[in-house]
This record gives sequence, structure tokens and C-alpha cells, in this order.
Amino acid sequence: MKSAADLQTVVEMTRSIPCAPAILPKLLKLAEGSSSDLGEMEMLINLDTGLATDVLRTANSAYFASNQRCENISDAILRLGSKVLYRIAASTLTGRWLVHPVRGYGWETGDLCRHSLCVAICAETFAAKMQLADSATAYTAGLIHDLGKFALAYANFTALDDITNRVPDEFATWREAEKVILGFESTQVTKALLENWGFPSTFVSVGQFYQTPSECPDSERKIATLIHAAKHVATQIGYGVGVDGFYYEPDEDALKEVGFKDDEMDAAIPEILATIQRFISPSGEIRFT
Amino acid sequence: MPSEITLSSFFESISFLASRMASTFNTVAEQMPTIIVGVADFKISTEPCTYLATHALGSCLGVTFHDSKRRIGGMLHAMLPSASLHEGQKIREAMFLDTGIPRLLTALVRAGAKKSDIRCKVFGGAQLMATDNFFRIGSKNIDMFYRISHEMELDVVSWEVSGRVNRTIRLNNQTGDVIVKIPSKPEFIR
Repeated sequence: MKSAADLQTVVEMTRSIPCAPAILPKLLKLAEGSSSDLGEMEMLINLDTGLATDVLRTANSAYFASNQRCENISDAILRLGSKVLYRIAASTLTGRWLVHPVRGYGWETGDLCRHSLCVAICAETFAAKMQLADSATAYTAGLIHDLGKFALAYANFTALDDITNRVPDEFATWREAEKVILGFESTQVTKALLENWGFPSTFVSVGQFYQTPSECPDSERKIATLIHAAKHVATQIGYGVGVDGFYYEPDEDALKEVGFKDDEMDAAIPEILATIQRFISPSGEIRFT
Repeated sequence: MPSEITLSSFFESISFLASRMASTFNTVAEQMPTIIVGVADFKISTEPCTYLATHALGSCLGVTFHDSKRRIGGMLHAMLPSASLHEGQKIREAMFLDTGIPRLLTALVRAGAKKSDIRCKVFGGAQLMATDNFFRIGSKNIDMFYRISHEMELDVVSWEVSGRVNRTIRLNNQTGDVIVKIPSKPEFIR
């Protein structure tokens, strides 16, 4: 692709990527629902061999295993509980999508997946500490917050190189450069993708406003700000951060409004890092289960 | 009868030999094993033919120490400036600069390095866009390193810190060179 095509073209191109996390909204709904939904959850997981394998492996891992082995998904659901199961599903499905080798943002293969996982873990931690959102919702929002960038890189825009070459000499922020060079922002692509896949409005708002939470409608501003904070903390930690990572402006007003404090965020980092290191090895290998 | 050696053929031979030596050296360097240092961790190596590497420093600091006489090197990947925020808690010393640097230096000296022969290099500390109140780990880390390096009288020979870039570093324990990789840019040596 030579230059900035329209937003719709990017979204259309991304439809052809296998393993899109399109079943996530359905799984999330089931995970929040009653025990009668577990049968449906089992059916959904069984449709995806890779996911079913991951779920069984986790249920039989040293952390969860009891004397009896889990032989099927139904046993695994009972052992893990729907929340843990959802977490495994969300990570596996999103991770599989995000590890496709793509060109752009100076990423090595898997970088966006590593970074998104860190954002998800930061979001989950802050959500629990500050009572800002349900932890599963925060985790998912962290995983999917930058899908639009993945779509842009997948579409192989040469315009991404143009942005890389012109920030910071001509544009102070990556957003500014996207607006001028592409004609739209990556957050608009994220929004369009999530709407196409039927994600609830909370996630669509996060995708659209996590860079500028002050502009988010009141009803979803807290979670958009939560992901904004999680994104910046994860950027500082460093895993998978591309050439664009440090060129985003913190939204101080939104952070203050929600009650974030710098020292408290820094103090949470050892705990966040311990969780991240359960999933990412020192060499960067990702282990979701 | 010995063949006649002209000046130009002599230089050609020398240049051929030099290029062979360089390529042999490159091959050896390429084959050297790499010890990976995770976040909030440090490692040392007494084996000259090794690399010590750490990925994606972000706002963390990567500190390398190298005794070139004894070919003993060490690397720390510290996330935060000071353990004082976590008083009374069980901490990982390598997580913090003020506990990690003394710990690494002690380990190096125990392994045979001499403090007066150790050269130090520091990398990372990337900073987000200017803000007075949030996300200042990069600058806090740099300030703390500056203080510690003075207090401990470290011989800091290279500073590759700050800016808005995510650095990956690799210390060649044979030479003390540090290879720096930044997304979308060619590698360079410090």
C-alpha cells in the first residue's frame, strides 16, 4: 500500500487475518453470567482446538492441579472457574492475533502482544486497587486497546515509515503525525474494528479515547482513564514498546479527576512486574497459561 | 626459487589476512553465547566469550560494569530508583538502583574483579512527554544513578540515557563494548 488509504480499507484488510478475537465479547458475557451458561462456554471453547488445549493444560498445571486430572473442558471449567477461564481465553485469542509478524512501529514479532499484555496487567492491578472497574473488563480492555495499530501495521502502510521519519522533528506527538499523514488516527481504526466484532460500548470507548480520556463520555471516562494510566506505566516498564511508545501526551486532568497519584502508581510496579514475569520470560517469550 | 615479493603484493597479503582475521573475529562474536538479564535482575560473567544482554529498558536503567583486565562483566536492569518506598516489605534488590548497584558491584569483586579497574556504562531512562506530576520514572532513575555514581565513585565512561526511545543492550564481555538497539534504527556501539 503506497500511502494513506481510507480507514475502511484498513478495517477490510484486517478481516482476512486469522484468529481474530471476535468471540471474546460472547465469552465475556458468558463469564459474567450464571452457571447455566457454562455449557455454552464449554461448547464455544471446544470449537477452538488451540484454546481447548490451553485451558486443559492450565487446569492440569502445578498451580491448579489436584489429585484428579481434568480430562475435558467441562471439568476444567469447574476447576478454574469462569473468571480464570475467561482470562485464559482472552489472552490466548488476542495473543494469537497479535503475534503475527508485521512491519511497522519498529516492532519485533510479538512486541505488540507483550506490550498489550503488560497494559492488561497494569489495568487489572489498578482496577482492583482503586475500584475503578471490574478486573476482567480492565484486563480485556488492556489487551485490545491498540488493535488499530496492529491493523495499520498489517496493512503495511509505507506511511508508517513516513511518521517514524517525521516524529519528532516535524510533529511533537505520534497522534499529530497520524492525523496529518494518514488523515485519521489509529484509535479510529481500533474503534471501527471493535464495533465490527460486536464488542460492548465500553471497549469501543476505550479503543477510541484511551489516548485522550478527557474527551470520553462521562459514563466510560473512568475506564478510558484507567487504560490511559496503564498504557503509560507499561510503556515505562518497556516490554514490546515500539518507536511510537514515548510520543504520547499524558492527560493530567483526567488522571487527577479519577484519583491517580504518581507515587502510588510507582509503588504498585513491583507487584505488576511480578505478575508480568509469570507470563513473559526474560528473553521475551510469552507463556499465556 | 623464492617468488619475488613486491610492495603491492605484500600489502594485498596483509589486507587479505586482516580481512580474514576480522571475519573470523566477527564469526566468533556472532557465536558467543548470550546471558539474558531480566527486568529487576542482574547477572555477571567471568567467561570472556559471552554477551550479557537485556531487552527493552524503557524508563528502567541498564547498568553495565566491566573489568577489562580480567574480562569480568556484569549487568543490572533496575526498574525503580529507590527501595525506600517499600520499607518493611520483602524486596528484590535488583529492582532498585540504590540496592541493585551495590549488590552487583559486590558480586563482581567476589568474582575476582578489581574495583579500580571497573568501568561503568549506563543506558535507558527513557521519558514520556513533559509532565510535572506523572510518569517520571525515567528522570527519577537518572537522578538516582547520578547520585549513586558520585557516592560510590563509579568510573562512568558512557551515558546513553533519557530521550524517548526504548533501548535493548548487549555487553560484549571480551571487549567491554555495549551494543545498543533502538526500534527502527541501526545498532550502534558505546
